[in-house]
This record gives sequence, C-alpha cells and structure tokens, in this order.
Amino acid sequence: MTRKGKNTARLALLNAAFILLCLVTLVPVLYALSISFSGQGAALSGDLSFLPKDPTLENYRAILFDKPFLLWLKNSLFLSIGTIALSMLCAVPAAYAASRWRFAGRRGMLRVLLVLNAFPQVLSMFALFRVLRLTNTLNTHSGLVIIYAGSMCVFAIWNMKGYFDTIPREIEEASRIDGASDLQMIVRIVLPLARPAIIVTCVMVLITVWNEYLFATTFLLDSQSYSLAGGLYQLQSNDYSRNWSVFTAASMLASLPLLLVFFKIQKYMVSGLTAGGVKE
Amino acid sequence: MKKVTALLLALALCFAVLAGCSQSDPQDSGAPSSNPSQSNNPPTAPVTITIWHDGDEGIMQTIADQVNAQLAADQITVVFEKKTDMPNQLKLYGSDAVNAPDMYFYAHDVLGSFVAMDILAPLSDVVDTGILADHLSMTVEAGQIGGTQYLLPVYFETLVFLYNKALWEGDIPDTTEALYDYMVAHTDTAAGTYAVVNQHTNAYNVSPFINGFGGYIIDETAKPGLNDPKTIEAATYNQKFGALQADGDYNTVTTLFNEGKAAAIIGGPWLVSGIEAAGIDYGIASLSDIKLPNGNGLAPFSGIQGAGVLKVALAEKKDALAKVLTAMASPEVGVDLANKSGCAPANNKSYDDPQVAAKEMITIIQKTASTAQPMPNIPEMGSMWGPVETMLTAINKNGTDPAQAAVDAQAAAEQAIADMQ
Amino acid sequence: MRQKLRWKPWFYCVPALLLIFIVIVFPIAYTGYISLTNMNLYHWTDYGFIGFDNYARALFKFDSGFLAALGTTLVWTVLNMAIQIGLGFFIALGLNAPGLRLKRVYKTLLMVPWAVPAYISILLWRVGMFNTEFGILNKFLAMLGLGKVDFLASNGIAFLSCMALNLWMALPFMISTIDGALQSVDGSLYESATLDGAGFWVRTWSITVPAIRPIIAPAAVMTTFITFKQFDIIYLLTQQRGYMTGATLNTVITYAHQNAFASNNYGLSSAVSMLLFVVIILFSILTNRSLRED
Repeated sequence: MTRKGKNTARLALLNAAFILLCLVTLVPVLYALSISFSGQGAALSGDLSFLPKDPTLENYRAILFDKPFLLWLKNSLFLSIGTIALSMLCAVPAAYAASRWRFAGRRGMLRVLLVLNAFPQVLSMFALFRVLRLTNTLNTHSGLVIIYAGSMCVFAIWNMKGYFDTIPREIEEASRIDGASDLQMIVRIVLPLARPAIIVTCVMVLITVWNEYLFATTFLLDSQSYSLAGGLYQLQSNDYSRNWSVFTAASMLASLPLLLVFFKIQKYMVSGLTAGGVKE
Repeated sequence: MKKVTALLLALALCFAVLAGCSQSDPQDSGAPSSNPSQSNNPPTAPVTITIWHDGDEGIMQTIADQVNAQLAADQITVVFEKKTDMPNQLKLYGSDAVNAPDMYFYAHDVLGSFVAMDILAPLSDVVDTGILADHLSMTVEAGQIGGTQYLLPVYFETLVFLYNKALWEGDIPDTTEALYDYMVAHTDTAAGTYAVVNQHTNAYNVSPFINGFGGYIIDETAKPGLNDPKTIEAATYNQKFGALQADGDYNTVTTLFNEGKAAAIIGGPWLVSGIEAAGIDYGIASLSDIKLPNGNGLAPFSGIQGAGVLKVALAEKKDALAKVLTAMASPEVGVDLANKSGCAPANNKSYDDPQVAAKEMITIIQKTASTAQPMPNIPEMGSMWGPVETMLTAINKNGTDPAQAAVDAQAAAEQAIADMQ
Repeated sequence: MRQKLRWKPWFYCVPALLLIFIVIVFPIAYTGYISLTNMNLYHWTDYGFIGFDNYARALFKFDSGFLAALGTTLVWTVLNMAIQIGLGFFIALGLNAPGLRLKRVYKTLLMVPWAVPAYISILLWRVGMFNTEFGILNKFLAMLGLGKVDFLASNGIAFLSCMALNLWMALPFMISTIDGALQSVDGSLYESATLDGAGFWVRTWSITVPAIRPIIAPAAVMTTFITFKQFDIIYLLTQQRGYMTGATLNTVITYAHQNAFASNNYGLSSAVSMLLFVVIILFSILTNRSLRED
C-alpha cells in the first residue's frame, strides 16, 4: 500500500514537473497565439497579458483569403512529400548497406559523408544556383526537391544506420532462409523494426523542408510557387511592410500541420521490435 | 541478380519521383507571366515587362496602374514582382537571360554595385534621357554613376520628425539643444515613456547628425570618413540622445510611438500607414528646421527610389522598355504616387497638381530636400552600413570611447572596401 | 560470393551518393574553383583564374578575432550539446515513466517549438521575449518589481540568451530521438536487474545508457555539427543590420560572415569558406576521437 502511495506521489510530482515544463516551453507560442487574435494596433504591447486585446479573427481571414496561403500550403506539402520520398529511397538502401555489410571503403565513406555534411550549406548558394541552371531546374519544385533531399541524405543515412545496427541479424537470417530477397527483407523486416528511427528521420526531413525559406525564395521566381515558409518569409522580411498580427496568425497556421503530424505519429513511435518482444 | 533488379527498381522509382515532380510542377504548366511569346518586331504583339522590387506593394501597384493605363494601346503591361532581398537576388539572376527580370525598382544606394557588376544598361541605350528634363536635379544625379544615367528616379524620401499632437507639449523646438532639454524633462525610461525615439544606432537614422556636423560616411573617392573629427563629434553628440531613446530597433521605436508611449519619432513616410491605423493624430516637422549647435539644420540622407533596366532585357524588348521608362517619368505617375501613397515625386511637374502641393508630408519632405543629402551610391557604400552601425552601437550601447570606436570602425571599413577588389 | 559482396553494398549506396554528389560535393568543388578566381563585383561574369592569391589574403582573416570566435564556438557547442543531451535524456526518461497517462499530450506540447519555423521562432524571441520594452521576460521582472534587463546587450548575457533559444529550438529533436531509442531497450533486461535489487538510478546508468548510446550517437554527432554551424540564432538575435544589440559575440561562421561575405568578393569569401571547411574537418576529427574514447 505504501509502495502504491509512493508511486502516486511520484507520478503527481512528475505530472507537475511536466505541466510546468510545457508551460515554460509554450510561453513564446502562447504569446504569438494571443497576438494572432489581436487587432492590428495591439500587436506589440506594453502590458503582460496572454489574452488578446480586441479579440478578432481578422488576421486569420486576411492570411487565408488575401494571401495565397492555401497555394503555399499545397506547395509545401508537395515539396515535403517529394523530398521525403526521394531522400528515403536513396538513404534507406545506403544505411542498410552500411549497417549490414562490412565492405571496403565503408568506414571511409561514412566518415567522409559526415565531414561533407559539415560544410555550411548557406555558402553553397551560388554553386547550387549553377547546378539548377545547368540542369534547367531553376524555378521548379523538382529542383528544390533534389536540393532538399541531398541536404538531408547524409543525416538520414547516419540516423537510420545507427538504429539498423541494433536490430539483431538473426531475425533477418531466419527470413533469408525462407528465400526473401534483400528488398523484401528491408521492406518486411527492417523497416518495421526500425520504425522509430524511420519516423524521426522522416519528421526531421519534413521539418527541414517545411521551415526552409532561403532556397525556396531564391530558386523559385514566382511567389505563387513558394512554400509556406518562403511565403511567410516574404511577408515579414521587410520591416516596413511587417504586420505582426497577420504574421503571427500565419505562423500559427503554418505550424499547425506539423503539430498534427507529431500527434498522429506518436503511437507509431513504438518499435516493432519491442512491441512484439516485450509488451505482452 | 535479384539484388541488381531490386536496385534498378529503386533507381527507377527515384527517377519516377523526379519526373513526377517536374510534371506536376505549376511552373511548367502555367507559363510564367514573365516570358510570353515575345517576338520583338510587330508592335501589336503584347509585351510584358517584369520589374523586381522589394518595397511596398501598394506603391508598386500605383505605378503599375498608371503606366499600364498609358501603355494600354501599345499592348505593353508592366508586372511588379516582389523579391525578398532583391539586391542579392539580382546578383544571382542579373545576367541570366532566361530568368532575369527586365527592370528592377529600388533605392539608389545599390546602384553602384549593379553597375560594377555590369548588369545594367545605361538609360541612354534605351531612351532619350530628355525624359528627365523636368526632374529634380538631386534625384537625377543620384541615378548616375560616373556621369552615366542608370536609374530613372520616380520618388524620393527623407526622414522627418513625426509627433503625436495629443502628447507633445508646446511647439517643436527649433534647436537640437532645446529638443534635448525637452527629452530630458519628458522621458521616464523606467516607466517606458519617451519624448523622442529614433533608431539611434542605425546609420541611416543618425545621418541627420553626421551630415549636419559636416561629417561623412564615405566620400566620392570611396574614402570612409568614420574617424573624421566631425563624424566623431556627431556620433558623440548623438549618444546623449540615444540614451533617452529606448533600445532603438525599428520594432521598438515604432511600437512605442504607435502605442502613445513616445511623443515623437524620427522616421520616414513609410511609418504613416501604421500610425494612421493606430488612430494617432500626428503632425510632421522638417528636420532641416531643427538646428544643431553649429547652426546647421539636421541633414538626413535622402533615398531616391527608381527603376533601372537590365542589359539582358535589351535585345528583345528595347522598344517596349523605352515606352515604359517614358511613362514612368511622366508627371502623372508622380501625382498618383503622391495622392495614393504619399510619396514625394521626383518629377517637378507633379507638384503643379494642387492636391499634391497640399499634402503636408510631401511639402515637408520637399522642404527637407534643401538640407538632405542623397545616400552615396558608389559600390563601396554597401560595405559601410555594417561598420557604421558597429561604431554607433559600441558608442551608444557599450559605452566605448567614441574616438576609439571610430578608429576601429574606420579600420574595419577600409578592410571591407579592400576586400571588395 | 566474395566478389558479389564487394560491389553489392556500393550498388545500394549509388542513389544516395549520386544525390550527395550533386547537392554537396559539387558545390564544395565549385567553391574551391571560385576561390582560385578573381570573381568579385568588378569581375562578375568575366572572372579569371588567379591562383592562390585569395588564400594568401584569406589567411589574414584567421587572426586573433577568429581564434576568439573559435573559442566561443567550442564553448557554445560543448555547453549546448551537454545540456541538450542531459536534459533531453531526463525528459525522455520522465515521459517513459510507467503510469504517465498524459504522455502523448506532454510530448506533443514539448514538440511545439519544433513545429514553429526557425526564423519565426527567432523573431518571436527577439521581440516577444528579450525586448526591453515589450519582452515578456522584462514584463515579468517589472511585475516582481525589478528593473529592466537588456538580455542581448553584453556578451555574457547574450550568450546565455542565445543558448536558451537554441535549447528551446533543438530539444524537441533530442527528446524524440532519445524517446525513440528508449523504446528499443529490451525490457527483460530491467526485469532481471530489478530482481537483482538494482534501484532506478543504477538501472538507468548501467542498462539504459549503454543500450541507447549507439542509437543516439549518430543523432548527437549530427546535432553537434548543426550546433557548431549555428548561424541564424546569434546573427538574427544580436547582429542583424538595424538590430545590433551591443553584444560582440561571434562564432566562426558569424565571424567569417562579418569579415568576408559582406564584401561581395566571391573569390575571397570562397577561399575563406574553404579554409573554414578545413577548420571544421579538424574539429570533426577531434569530435570523432573523443566519441570513440568515451
């Protein structure tokens, strides 16, 4: 009985700690949320309050209907899905190879990839411009997808390889005896077992694409084809045209899809490995 | 063998994805408005002139409406496209015949860089520069590099003194010393109420002091003047004002004014729409009416906003460009800009319009033009903003000795200019 | 069979390597090429080969100011990573406590900063949190009857402010990575350890940590590089034109940006980039070594 009491107390403490942590974390977001519902003049105010002044939905109306928000949303979705597909198609086989086989040059390749990834990509802007121009993909979404996927590829390989390493080989060998090909094995055994790592990697790619604005606004010429982040960046880039209320409303709307994704994927975050092996 | 097949399959998938991308790309299907089929000869074929800008979309729309109305018969349409960080975008696209715009619209201080990069065509290659005959000479000269006209001036702006009529007590002081006394008496930093706010570490906003003291940021020979005794004197003088002007970043000072927590702000016409939206009854005064201890009026920089023509556009659209430039130079554009957006026209004839002459902001800006100095437009100016701001920040926020800060900033500026070559 | 294994892994890597070649290797090589030319404002399209002149000039950028920036960058990276991993670990551990019913809610809320685009976060913090007139932190201080604090004014406090923001932005990834890693720990290990009488902390230290280390190591290494390269936070919070706050805090990247990139001399700045790359490679070798020694 005491043990149970102790446990309850501990849980209560833990809950309190998490509530506090969440509150602290959310302060800037709550602040933005309150601005987004405020009338224009009240955007930045001298008073400490998380309740909007003259509450209004006008900012949300303005961003949804006066700006091509839905078009940007569509572009962002397209870019994200394209990038995730391309980067995973390239990275999963590579990560699998690097994890499963000890081949000449493997260690060197992994090391070199890591070092390459250290090059600050902002410095590559001009070179990437040349690549896109040469391949005639300037001002196209496919050009951006290639750049995004390439930028995230090293990360994806490393991140997934680490997890693949922890999957016992015996599981694969069993299925190999059943005559499964490598591809079948990756799809049927490795991917489900590495689900948490795959999901975290995909989310990371998604977030990068979702939030990237510099390449999007540089390599796309028509603001109709911008991604959400690019469109928002353009909205607020100029001090003189910045409208805090509309801008925060747009930020909140832009963050919403990612939040939904986070919430949805949580239940898939449990590895197939432990799900099958440990939980009753 | 199976593995190779699998791999090929994966590769094929990659390409399928890529192919899919390019097919469903909106850019490919909906042909961009910038390059419709442009055969240059028959004047009846519609031509679209694309102009990149990074300014206020309302102002650009006003220009576009007037120009397009004038050129409707010629089937010429101008389209303004907003490009964030436009000067850097033009560095990438400026010489790219396929993607470059036909013209750009921006302040004159970046002109030198574009000319050095050799991406602009002199206006005389396109049109008779006689179209500028009625323009204010200050604005015309600001559009020249080495005596050649590259920029068509359309409107100009300077800093002015904006005050909240409900908060300001008495008249606007006519000397900076009286202004300072007023600020001391009416500023309570702890309570967050201020008399006058200014972006006191921003080179543009401190230019009224620097120029007024006879100092300079950079001269025509590209020599930085940060450790010029007069520049140092101005920066030292600005420091005591800065101490009473809050943090001095754009958001802080404009919000303080718009919330009624600052009685006055030194700023430009671009602030007006926000001030009006906040419902503030404001007055405007010219900075040249406020005298420094040396007897000179405050002398802000002026920025001349105008359009330039990209070289790559010349081959196919020369005639259309000439018509667009002529239309943009017309007094009607200035009148529309003044009436709809409160901009001070570069064309002197625009001021003949009684409505324009009645606009307070415009007359004040025009008056300030008597002491205002156009920002330097040589390429080296681009390297100066950083060092000047570093210097002002060191003096105003870190309490660095002005003379020392000036020596450091001068060295940094000289290095930055040497690095350009 | 042996023959097959020599080539097969490389087949698997080809798509990834091809992509990386286009997007990462080629730009680096191209930067190297530009660094050997006189491409600048005055030779924008008609630039020519000038050999190693730019490198001779670029070396002057690696002066005492650069060393100070390197020092700052190392402290920045180490502190951020230590706090990130430490805090991330304990939060993830807390989330996995048995019986915590609201886990999903907490986790989603803690992920919120991740969903906010980075530059929006930075703007929000600069204006909403740190600003002397409107910032929540200062309003809070005022409520407690304390004076205003300029959180970005001098180097020490600006460093802490930047770090707070970096942690806010980076922790969600750490938490979810460690949380994912915790899922893979074989629960039977705990059961036997519990039977042996090991307490919570002993179990955590001797079972959980070793089990998840190989999984989070790659993520930690990648994050280390991201932290090392971090530019936006320090630049946008303290040095953006029009918003200099008085702090003279520099990391190697902001230092190079301030000293080489503002000049529009692509030849020179490319040479600086290449040298910077060498510095980062050296750093990565050091990191690798220290990781292995752990």
